[in-house]
Amino acid sequence: MMTKQVRYEALVKALHSDLYRYAYWLTHEKQVAEDLVQETFLRAWRALDSLKDEKAAKSWLITILRRENARRFERKRFDMSEYEEATITDTKSVTTEQELENHWLRDKIAKLPTEYSEPLILQVLGGFSGEDIASILDLNKNTVMTRLFRARNQLKEILEEEPVKRGVYNG
Amino acid sequence: MDDLQFRRAIYADPNTQDAEVLAAQRQDVSKQKFAKDISLLDARIKQALEVPVPNDLCNKLILRQTLASHQVQKRKTRFHLALAASVAIVGGLILNFMQFSNAYHTLGDYALAHVYYEKDSIANNANDQVTLTSLNKKMAAFDGNFSKKLGKLLFADYCRFDGMKSLHLVYQGKTSPVTVFIVPKNEQLGLSTAFNDEQLFGSSMEFKDNNIIIVADKNESLDVWQKNISETVSWSS
Repeated sequence: MMTKQVRYEALVKALHSDLYRYAYWLTHEKQVAEDLVQETFLRAWRALDSLKDEKAAKSWLITILRRENARRFERKRFDMSEYEEATITDTKSVTTEQELENHWLRDKIAKLPTEYSEPLILQVLGGFSGEDIASILDLNKNTVMTRLFRARNQLKEILEEEPVKRGVYNG
Repeated sequence: MDDLQFRRAIYADPNTQDAEVLAAQRQDVSKQKFAKDISLLDARIKQALEVPVPNDLCNKLILRQTLASHQVQKRKTRFHLALAASVAIVGGLILNFMQFSNAYHTLGDYALAHVYYEKDSIANNANDQVTLTSLNKKMAAFDGNFSKKLGKLLFADYCRFDGMKSLHLVYQGKTSPVTVFIVPKNEQLGLSTAFNDEQLFGSSMEFKDNNIIIVADKNESLDVWQKNISETVSWSS
């Protein structure tokens, strides 16, 4: 009992940030992301005995989180990926220039097709290898590598043709 | 490795440790620059994605799990309690069944066992005597009445006769006490009109609502007892 608790707490401490950021990426809303992470960890607790390899913990949790997120859509039956809404609410909290730029870049990534942005997020944020991403997304590795290539390629083009104009953005 | 291949590899994974890619990079300054650019892009993406995590999220997660598993434990305790209660009930039922079930097949068997059980508690030459009035008071519970005394009545009281309330009479006999049971009719036990073992023998008489069972040793004449009883007993219902 105690060892399970210790394992769980270690898991939470080590991975809650990555999970929250990934959830935030999926949901674009702080509160929803938080709920999603809570659901994920609660499920993880129940299934903790099935986690044999601690190294696989992160991709295991990400998989649970993705499933929970899908479930959320089943429940709500409306599309939450409308990004503009989140942009409006979030702008209020943006203060520094760095945050502004981050925000702008997030917006650009969000505008990529999901099939490109998804592996990119997993690679950059999750630090997953091509193989890991392939297994999380249930794709083959070559497809994942191609999508990663296209994601960065498109993003670079967007950044080059539209340099950061903070003044304009600030309105 | 041509430029396109190199670019594809870097785009797909700027941190690639692929030997070929790394070698190509070392040989070509423009490739180095490209790799650096994409690395910077990645750093920017990473920075953009690293949104601030709520401070208390970690504690919340641990708290919520602790509460949840506490709930589970409480449910488990309730379950265990319910289980213990069920076991106790079943145990009680089994005990009840064993105690009041018909371990004997006939009234005769039971009557013999009953007499043997109480054999030592009443001596044939005891001085105690029960009056006819107090006997009839007890008989009232069975709507019965004795018109006169059948002999020296040593003992008369209610007892449980295989779970049924019955009247247990002990008369002084020739050598050992004669036992008479007044037992309400019961479907469960077969009536045996005559029964015996090595020492005792007995007989049953059937009346409207009750049976009268006589058990005595073999020096007694059951026929006489039977006759006397049927002549003196009367039933009001």
